[in-house]
Amino acid sequence: MTFSDECKKAILDGNIELAENLARKVVNGKMEVNEAIDSFSLAIREAGDLFEEGEFFLPELMRSAEAMKAAMTIIHPLLQEGKEERFLGKVVIGTIEGDIHDIGKTLVASMLSAEGFEVFDLGADVPVESFIEKAIEVNANLICISALLTTTMVGQKRLIDLLKERGLRDKFKVLIGGAPISKTWVEEIGADGSAENAVSAVKLAKKVLEI
Amino acid sequence: MNTKKPILSLVKERIVLLDGAMGSVLIDLGLEPGTPPESWNVTYPEKIQGIHLGYFNAGSDAVLTNTFGGSGMKLAAHKHGNNVEKYNKKAVELAKAICPENCYVAGDMGPSGAFLPPVGKVTVDDFYNNYLEQAGYLADAGIDFFFIETMVDLKEAEAAVKAAKSISNKPIFASITYQLTKRGYFTIMGDTVPECVKTLEKAGANIIGANCTIGSKEMVDLIALISTETKRPILAKPNAGKPILQSGKTVYPTSVKDFTEDISKIIDKGANVVGGCCGANPEYIVSMRKLRGD
Repeated sequence: MTFSDECKKAILDGNIELAENLARKVVNGKMEVNEAIDSFSLAIREAGDLFEEGEFFLPELMRSAEAMKAAMTIIHPLLQEGKEERFLGKVVIGTIEGDIHDIGKTLVASMLSAEGFEVFDLGADVPVESFIEKAIEVNANLICISALLTTTMVGQKRLIDLLKERGLRDKFKVLIGGAPISKTWVEEIGADGSAENAVSAVKLAKKVLEI
Repeated sequence: MNTKKPILSLVKERIVLLDGAMGSVLIDLGLEPGTPPESWNVTYPEKIQGIHLGYFNAGSDAVLTNTFGGSGMKLAAHKHGNNVEKYNKKAVELAKAICPENCYVAGDMGPSGAFLPPVGKVTVDDFYNNYLEQAGYLADAGIDFFFIETMVDLKEAEAAVKAAKSISNKPIFASITYQLTKRGYFTIMGDTVPECVKTLEKAGANIIGANCTIGSKEMVDLIALISTETKRPILAKPNAGKPILQSGKTVYPTSVKDFTEDISKIIDKGANVVGGCCGANPEYIVSMRKLRGD
């Protein structure tokens, strides 16, 4: 079995131990770092495709994301040593104030983190100000706001309005998510985009950050 | 003394009509984001009663108490965890006070909002204890039957049915929420229709079905599928389509007429107990009244 096949097996099976062992090969110098990341990325994308096809469900996708995260946690320090440039960006993510649904948001956070983003997950019921404070504090590239209720969606608008008011709108890309989000809503409030699910959210995040 | 027949006998005789939405109606009445709907049982009891009365007047045989999110785990997420007894007992009291003689009050129990690993951190025992507490208050307060609904995880639904069964001999209606994927109907956890039906039957649910997430149109084939899996009566409570936001207002796109036609097909496919979920207000129930067949 090739390294790439093993990565695929580890991620699709959600096998954290195997994923960690494979990641350690990079640390031990047995595997080139970019090649390893490409193999893992390919695998997590396949997990995403299976989810979109209705072959994978929440538990399988979560397990894959966890295995991916475990591998990336080991590989990531190597990148920060400056040997390799593969920094995807920082993301502040949360479910908006008044809304306690956080499963979709958590899934997006896991997938982003699995892909290699540095993710700051603020949880659910997060005040608009907290998103902005955190984004400034960590110098984020991207803010992701989830709202599952049509009544809490207005919080997404408030956040963008507040960014504009403070002259910060250009500093961050803003993606919005949640079951009732439509393209019209994205345009109406001036967000940078919205994705159908966690898998396309990762693709979209990379697209808006031009990665 | 009330001499109405047991709900399970009525189900054998004719189509039983449930109510429509509670949550989306409360939002129309001004429920603020972040406020648990169950708190209105105490703060705005007359509004809750008004909604129930609207449904009874429209032709509902039974209404669901305003306790969908009234379990300890769910209320704790809203920081109202100490009010489980108060909200649940009050909810039953409100519905019973205006319930017509031949109608019924169902004790509603919705999902806890928590997940088993690997998605979340809770256990099946947590689920069981969560529903044991809520079911106890609902049963003590005098509901006619349990209505376990919108369950996204079969294991959680099973725990809820078992908990209700363990403390009461009242009938149990159990309803799963399915999404329609490219491969058919599944829960978000990947449970199939046959798995759900068999498990709920075994756990002791008297009536099995589906509600929420999908609209009435998508529910026709789902009910057909459920009916091939069980001999027990089937319930269906679809949404009035998928919500869209128009000029700041939430709109459910399925018209009363289309919804009623779909429900008629759903009955043809084997449903015995029907109603509406999100977006279905009393107008929908009025229109479905003719489907009762009495």
